[in-house]
Amino acid sequence: MMEANQNKAIAQLKGVGDGLRVVIDPSQSAELLQQELKKIFQPLNHLSINARVVIDTGEGLVDENLVKTLGAYLKENFKVGSVSGIPPRPSARKARMRQRELDTCWNTNQSEVLMMAGRVRSGQKITAKRHLVLMGDVNPGGEIIAGGDIVVLGSLRGIAACGQPENFNAIIFALDFRPSQIQIGPLVAAGPPGAPKQKAEFAHVENNAIVVDDYLEAGPFSKLPWPEKR
Amino acid sequence: MNGKTIVITSGKGGVGKSTATANIGAALAMEGNRVAVIDMDIGLRNLDVLLGLENRIVYTIVDAAKGRCKIKQAAIKDKKIDNLFLIPASQSDNKDVLTTEEITNLCEKLRKEFDFILLDCPAGIEKGFQNSVAAADEAVVICTPEVSSVRDADRVIGLLYARSITPKLVVNRIVPEMVERGDMLSHEDVVDILSIDLIGLVPMDEQVVISTNTGVPLVTQKDSKAGEALRRIAYRLNGQPDLPIEVPTVKKSFWKTKINFRFGGKK
Ligand SMILES: Nc1ncnc2c1ncn2[C@@H]1O[C@H](COP(=O)(O)OP(=O)(O)O)[C@@H](O)[C@H]1O
Ligand SMILES: [Mg+2]
Repeated sequence: MMEANQNKAIAQLKGVGDGLRVVIDPSQSAELLQQELKKIFQPLNHLSINARVVIDTGEGLVDENLVKTLGAYLKENFKVGSVSGIPPRPSARKARMRQRELDTCWNTNQSEVLMMAGRVRSGQKITAKRHLVLMGDVNPGGEIIAGGDIVVLGSLRGIAACGQPENFNAIIFALDFRPSQIQIGPLVAAGPPGAPKQKAEFAHVENNAIVVDDYLEAGPFSKLPWPEKR
Repeated sequence: MNGKTIVITSGKGGVGKSTATANIGAALAMEGNRVAVIDMDIGLRNLDVLLGLENRIVYTIVDAAKGRCKIKQAAIKDKKIDNLFLIPASQSDNKDVLTTEEITNLCEKLRKEFDFILLDCPAGIEKGFQNSVAAADEAVVICTPEVSSVRDADRVIGLLYARSITPKLVVNRIVPEMVERGDMLSHEDVVDILSIDLIGLVPMDEQVVISTNTGVPLVTQKDSKAGEALRRIAYRLNGQPDLPIEVPTVKKSFWKTKINFRFGGKK
């Protein structure tokens, strides 16, 4: 009883929507909880008969057995119709975790990115251990190489090799995508021939082949449920 | 006197370095500057032919740089243009005979005698190129509207930037008809890739070939399109950097829109 008087009640009747919802503190013993439930259900009298009861265990891990035990108790003593636990809602908890992750990702999740600005001219080469961001252009005959992804905020007209030596998940993105050759991991593709176009495209691997798609149309990362580290 | 040393370079051969050197040098001299044009293409000299001075060569740049003669002895005065001097390449020596130090020392001495020292750089990016660039304060990169020439010019531009030289660009041998048909890169295409300041656009002009054979620089003639374009490049190098750049066109009155390409700030 002492515990029940504290801020957080051991068991509480929360809403009677199309049934009875009882919020319990699953960390308490079944006996204690039964006592509390008795206090709640006795005053209800016949209202409890055949009622649909939902036992809400909050966001903690739901102990199936606890819900079963309490359900059996309620059915036997108060003739309730059905008793179920609230389907687990990990999302709320996970969302908070993920948000916390985002808030602190600078501390815990730094990506290794080489960020460069300028023009990579013929005969010049930039190599990045992981990701490479180039604010600038790669001229024909210029070369950029990365262990991870390559992002070119400008014209890519030279050679770009990402995911070196064998990361098939890496991508190559350019605002103006017209490389002479691209490599993703060990796969090689000749640059798209034809008229120069000014289009934001990206190359990625699909079924073991390099595919080039319109970046905004394909939105390769827009389907990710949550921002994640590359 | 504290002259300016300008290297005329391209990476690729046959794009018009020697033509540009002879004509820009002549135009600068006609403006009243003391000018030395130097053929750095040891073993393959031809600047002397362009200036019609091949029969006057006694000493060469190798002699001058190695102290085997005085600079005055190696510098051949032009037949017609006062103040224009040629220091010829040696034809017999190996192209690597000169050290970078010998060239830079020679250019230091020339600086005291001349307003402009133009170095006609050999093709390639080897020793001859390295020597020419080491001695230069400024650079003019010559490029034709061809993919391979643009590629080589780009390489050279990267090497010049690495030595803290900001080069200027000449696009030579433009055929406006072909550009109009889409069969030739336009100068915009070239500038788009090379992205350095343009200092001149020179049309393809058969007069160039004629003047090469007669040994009289084109800039001395009034009615040549290429000569006019080269003359204007000289003016831009000689204190008129903002003289508008004229685009060769198909029309009889052969200049179209006046443009002024400039990347980054003024130097
Ligand atoms: N604007 C031009 N129009 C026509 N022919 C040209 C032009 N510029 C250069 N040429 C020709 O191209 C060839 C190569 O020129 P040159 O100046 O010797 O090049 P480089 O010194 O770069 O090797 C020469 O035959 C020259 O007459
Ligand atoms: Mg030459």
